[in-house]
Amino acid sequence: MVKGSLVAVLALSAVTIIAQASEVERALRDLLLGRQPAPAQDSTSSGQQKPAPAAMATPPQQTQQTPPERRPRTADLIGGLLSFVAEPPQTLEEERNIGRTVAGGLLGAAPLVRDEQLQRYVNQVGRWVALQSERPDLDWHFGVIDSEDINAFAMPGGYIFVTKGLYKRLENEAELAGVLGHEIGHVIRKHHLRMMQQTRALADLGAVVGKRMEGGSAIARNFMGNFWEAYARGLDKEAEYEADRIGMVLAARAGYDAYGLPAVLQKIGHVSASGGRVAFLFRTHPHPDDRFAKLSEAVGSRLDNLPEGKTLAGRFYRIR
Amino acid sequence: MADALRYAHPVVLGILLLVALPAWSASGTMIRDDQLRAAASTTAAVTAQVPKGAGVEVLARQGGWTQIRVSGRTGWVRMLSVRTTGAAQRDVGGELAGVIGLGTRKADPGRVVSVAGVRGLSEQDLKAARFNAQEVELLERYVVSRSEAQSFAREGGLAARSIDYLPAPAQDNRQTSPWGEPQW
Repeated sequence: MVKGSLVAVLALSAVTIIAQASEVERALRDLLLGRQPAPAQDSTSSGQQKPAPAAMATPPQQTQQTPPERRPRTADLIGGLLSFVAEPPQTLEEERNIGRTVAGGLLGAAPLVRDEQLQRYVNQVGRWVALQSERPDLDWHFGVIDSEDINAFAMPGGYIFVTKGLYKRLENEAELAGVLGHEIGHVIRKHHLRMMQQTRALADLGAVVGKRMEGGSAIARNFMGNFWEAYARGLDKEAEYEADRIGMVLAARAGYDAYGLPAVLQKIGHVSASGGRVAFLFRTHPHPDDRFAKLSEAVGSRLDNLPEGKTLAGRFYRIR
Repeated sequence: MADALRYAHPVVLGILLLVALPAWSASGTMIRDDQLRAAASTTAAVTAQVPKGAGVEVLARQGGWTQIRVSGRTGWVRMLSVRTTGAAQRDVGGELAGVIGLGTRKADPGRVVSVAGVRGLSEQDLKAARFNAQEVELLERYVVSRSEAQSFAREGGLAARSIDYLPAPAQDNRQTSPWGEPQW
């Protein structure tokens, strides 16, 4: 009796492996095994697995540890994000796979700095800052990449990178927290997923980029090429200003000096725009002086009574 | 103690000045009207009004406050009210460090990345890059858990605080946002 059903399950598994991409097969298997349809682990192995429009309104909740995500209030949307209309359709699993694919591409262009203490340190600071956001339990990854450029990158799913060139200009932990807070802001507001959504082909490709396709498949490479093309055009200016406001607040929530990020913007603003080191940053972001001015406008006297946070210059990990 | 300082060796003082000055020997411009205060706090006495556009000398920063000197007076204004314009020495140092780093890395023929250091990462570099599985694996090794992050914060004396997100400034020049504080 037990043996019989075991054989049946095994036979079914074999069929499933052969016809893995088949929607009908998948539905049938779920039905026969009495499982919930489309578990998160499998959702990216098929391009047709994108949720139907009706399902988009519900935030992804595939994993237990990820709390339902709060969505921006109307006021925030009106306050400068009019161009972003709907939630990106990607599931959490798709978002992670997109992030991992692009992160792997970035690391192909500039690998991690070979300094374990440094990498560990940015993950400690980054995770602590991310814990103050509404996506505290995303799979956050932070890294310092070996490039003398002055820049930082955020990818969907919680992949965040700072260049060595930018890191060397930081003077304390609060400044690092502010920079990482800005990038965390992009991730929690899904700015790059929204950017992808505006280019439909990119969104479609992103949905089928999965773990098994990452190693240089045509789809993954095509996707990466298109992603960087869109990335190089830069996000909406308002998205950058929003990320700056979030970066300041997240650093302050984490107990740091809230003014680390504007201090970094001041420093970057002094670097000659003609230098190749800031070319990509200046091409994809508003000028640091404008970002500083926007922060000034947004903060006004709102943080006047905020007790001074910590800079932790003594603990800041310095690289040669 | 005071005597010790007064008679301190001029060379030592010189070194101290060299170390202390570069970060803050900057000039600045007021980007909004603000009040000059006797100390870095809204409760400190207001000693003058500093108008938008005024050129100032930037002396120090403490939290959300920047110490400035303007027409002979020294005091504090909000950090976000003044944009520094002087090229701080530290930036120049950073550029030099980059150049030096480049020189040493050129000796290492295996490092293709050093080329990216010269002209910077470009869209072409990124588009042409291949997925690097080893680096992703390495990246995953450094992941920090929630509890690890919390104990890291405790070690640094960091305590989480509740602070509202900042609303986007209104499109016109009104000082306060008509949308009020965001609730999360």
